[in-house]
Amino acid sequence: MSISNVSRRNFLKGAGVATGGLVIAVALPANALAEKGILPESSASTLNAFIHLEENGDTVIYCGRCEMGQGISTALPSAVADEMEADWQRVTVKQGDADEKFGPQATGGSASIRVMYQPMREAGATAKAMLIAAAAKVWKTSADNCFAQSHFVINKINQQKLGFGELASIAANMPIPEKPVLKKKSDFNYIGKKLPRHDQGAVVVGKRTYGVDTKLPGLKYAAIVHCPVLGGSLKSLDKTEAMKVKGVSDVIEIPRFDIPFGSIGGIAVVADNSWTAQQAVKKLKVEWNLGENAVYNTKEYKQQLVANVEKPATLAAERGDLETAFKTAKSKISATYTGGHLSHAPMEPNASVVWVQKDSCEVWASTQSPADIQKVLGQYLKREPKDIVVHVAMAGGAFGRKFKCDYVHEAAVISEKTGVPIQLIWSREEDMRTGYYHSISAQHIEASMDENGKVTGWLHRAAFPSITSLFNPSLERATDRNLADVTNHLFGVENFRVESGDAKAHTRIGWYRAVYAIFYGFAFSTFADELAHKAGKDSLSFVNQLFDNNKNEEQQEQVKRAKEILAVAANKSDWHNRAKLPKNQGIGLAVHYSFQSYVAMAVHVEVNGDDIKVLNVDCAIDCGQVLNLDGATAQMEGAVVMGMSLALSTEITFKNGAVVNSNFHDYQVMRITDMPNVRVHIPDSDENPTGLGEPGVAPFAPALSNAIFAASGKRYRDLPFKPLSV
Amino acid sequence: MKQSIIINGKEHEIDVDGDMPLLWFLRDRLEFTGTKFGCGSGLCGACTVHVNGQAIRSCVTPVSSLVDQKITTIEGLSENGDHPLQQAWLNNNVPQCGYCQAGQIMNAASLLAVNAAPTDDEIDTAMQGNICRCGTYQRIKKAISEAADTLAKEA
Repeated sequence: MSISNVSRRNFLKGAGVATGGLVIAVALPANALAEKGILPESSASTLNAFIHLEENGDTVIYCGRCEMGQGISTALPSAVADEMEADWQRVTVKQGDADEKFGPQATGGSASIRVMYQPMREAGATAKAMLIAAAAKVWKTSADNCFAQSHFVINKINQQKLGFGELASIAANMPIPEKPVLKKKSDFNYIGKKLPRHDQGAVVVGKRTYGVDTKLPGLKYAAIVHCPVLGGSLKSLDKTEAMKVKGVSDVIEIPRFDIPFGSIGGIAVVADNSWTAQQAVKKLKVEWNLGENAVYNTKEYKQQLVANVEKPATLAAERGDLETAFKTAKSKISATYTGGHLSHAPMEPNASVVWVQKDSCEVWASTQSPADIQKVLGQYLKREPKDIVVHVAMAGGAFGRKFKCDYVHEAAVISEKTGVPIQLIWSREEDMRTGYYHSISAQHIEASMDENGKVTGWLHRAAFPSITSLFNPSLERATDRNLADVTNHLFGVENFRVESGDAKAHTRIGWYRAVYAIFYGFAFSTFADELAHKAGKDSLSFVNQLFDNNKNEEQQEQVKRAKEILAVAANKSDWHNRAKLPKNQGIGLAVHYSFQSYVAMAVHVEVNGDDIKVLNVDCAIDCGQVLNLDGATAQMEGAVVMGMSLALSTEITFKNGAVVNSNFHDYQVMRITDMPNVRVHIPDSDENPTGLGEPGVAPFAPALSNAIFAASGKRYRDLPFKPLSV
Repeated sequence: MKQSIIINGKEHEIDVDGDMPLLWFLRDRLEFTGTKFGCGSGLCGACTVHVNGQAIRSCVTPVSSLVDQKITTIEGLSENGDHPLQQAWLNNNVPQCGYCQAGQIMNAASLLAVNAAPTDDEIDTAMQGNICRCGTYQRIKKAISEAADTLAKEA
């Protein structure tokens, strides 16, 4: 890793930012900028973040990762500011456009802070060292006699002060420190504190702009209807009535673009405004050849998945001797768990503005992966990906959906064919019906116990259409890699086998906040509770025993942290006094390791007949060093709500290949009336920061299942527990 | 005959098809983008604005039904962005993605206008039409209660 000072090379001129101050770029080893001729080969690098310091002290810190509400554009820049000793009040955060100088921008897998924490701190520390060196030069003293504080460098000897702005141009000519010294945790100004989000002020007055808010001169508006079945094609189109609508200028056929994240195929109407386009789409007379996926019915498919996991399947991983363990068992139990498809349903539907011109292509989009937009549009337009300019807009929620840029590709097709800038907004119905869905799934677990209630054998069969099918449509079942989180689960069972049941995909499967952890977490933590009851043991001590049985040296640290975080959730709830609860109340526990973080939940529920009321949720997370304590707390609160939606009500169903749900009346996400009292517990940690956006989702559903069982004796094994029939 | 509508205190001529919902008149004709499109069917509350102080769903309200009515959008809720609800939203760091929050705030403002001291249940009932997919409900509740307290002190 190297640091480049690029201000002398007028690096920012190309980016349209005034130069003259100090520009710091953090660099990972690479040669992209050297190839561009921006940097000499000796300092070849792909920049992944930078600071711009104006001579009046105004400081711009760029965020290269995409913002969708998870707070990354506050968290990462605040780490820069902290190390730089910049005054946060003087900092403006800007979102970086698609550019390799920012390093990896694809925002998913709860990886942003894990990957960028160190480089961003080093960027700040480098800037600070150069500012101090500049001040030392002015004062003709040693840098050791100077320190930085709150946007000033201060001379220890005589208490003289120079502002960062005054020092900017001198600092720009200082050598770049080889290894910038990072601050001690006790000296942090912002890291680990409750720093308010940089953009809240704009949000509450309606000035924060999202992808859907982009306006350009000459902008035309498009609406779209897609082929409802994956792999289908257009049979006939009568656009006469649609074209008669006043304000409609074009009807554009968008063929299926058969690459990952390309359009599924559809018909778009172009008009003077979105509403007219939406009205005209309804007047299209379209017939589709539905193709082979028209056989897809989720009710029957789920039954088939269950059948596929309740019989021997394809071996994925094995250790010990499961057969002997099962033969010599004192007791054996088994259970099957299922889950349905989910739609991300962010409040901002898919939206972007694209303007394709002869020599340029410019995109404004809510996205989680600007480089994928460049790749897909580049491939479609037969241009170099770097020639696709992508302005990354704030996403009004994403949850994995906006990693896929089919909607941007469609806007590009329309703009290419009409020659004008196009804003394409998907209707809520199209968003729900032609998405990338969380996998429908079935898991079957069989376990054996000895006379002491120790688990001696564990057979885990899972069947679900895999995300890998996006890239390999002929895939018959989940891959060994898809099953790795089962294979590497922290429960210690000597004799263990993982099998993959057949599950071919009939729709597009995509990452959904927490991904596989949703159903793995559900099966592991619910089954552990079932085992505890079978063994007649306290669920908490039973789970701790399962962890203690893990003798894998490489997992001891993980086991320790998982147990500790489970203890926090249990202790903060009424777990140890649960015997005193009213008869129809119960507390359930769950703990799950995902995205390198440890999350435990204690859910306190009241059950009256079929009515399930979640009263309290104690959510504990160990994600190492936290960057923004309030942001982390908010992520956990939100994860509980998303966990609640998928545990209790949300499910996408297919009939004859097409999605039946259409809008929020038949895809009921949690509302304020369902909100329990959520208490988030984040123990202080010096470990490296790990995932935060997703891992909170997984433990909710199993903790709720366990709580309901404690309160009512009724066991829920199918997600969602109370599906809406559509 | 020209028809007009008053938005945030300023008169605007209705120069679009009268069937166009207010949401799209605001967003595409006037480029007031603070009011958001979420569902198009009055199911999510992202498009909430005020008509004469009362919350309505602008995505299902034809602009022709609002001739000479006074509309307030999030941009016009307060002169300096300092409505007690806006302050409380900031104090509690309510927004995550923020997309639904204009609708949430406008709906809450309409509630406080008729019920200055709502109970938790009354807040739930009034706010249940506004979806937040990020799950900020706990903070929304707290912020509304805080804003109500502020208003009580001012009164």
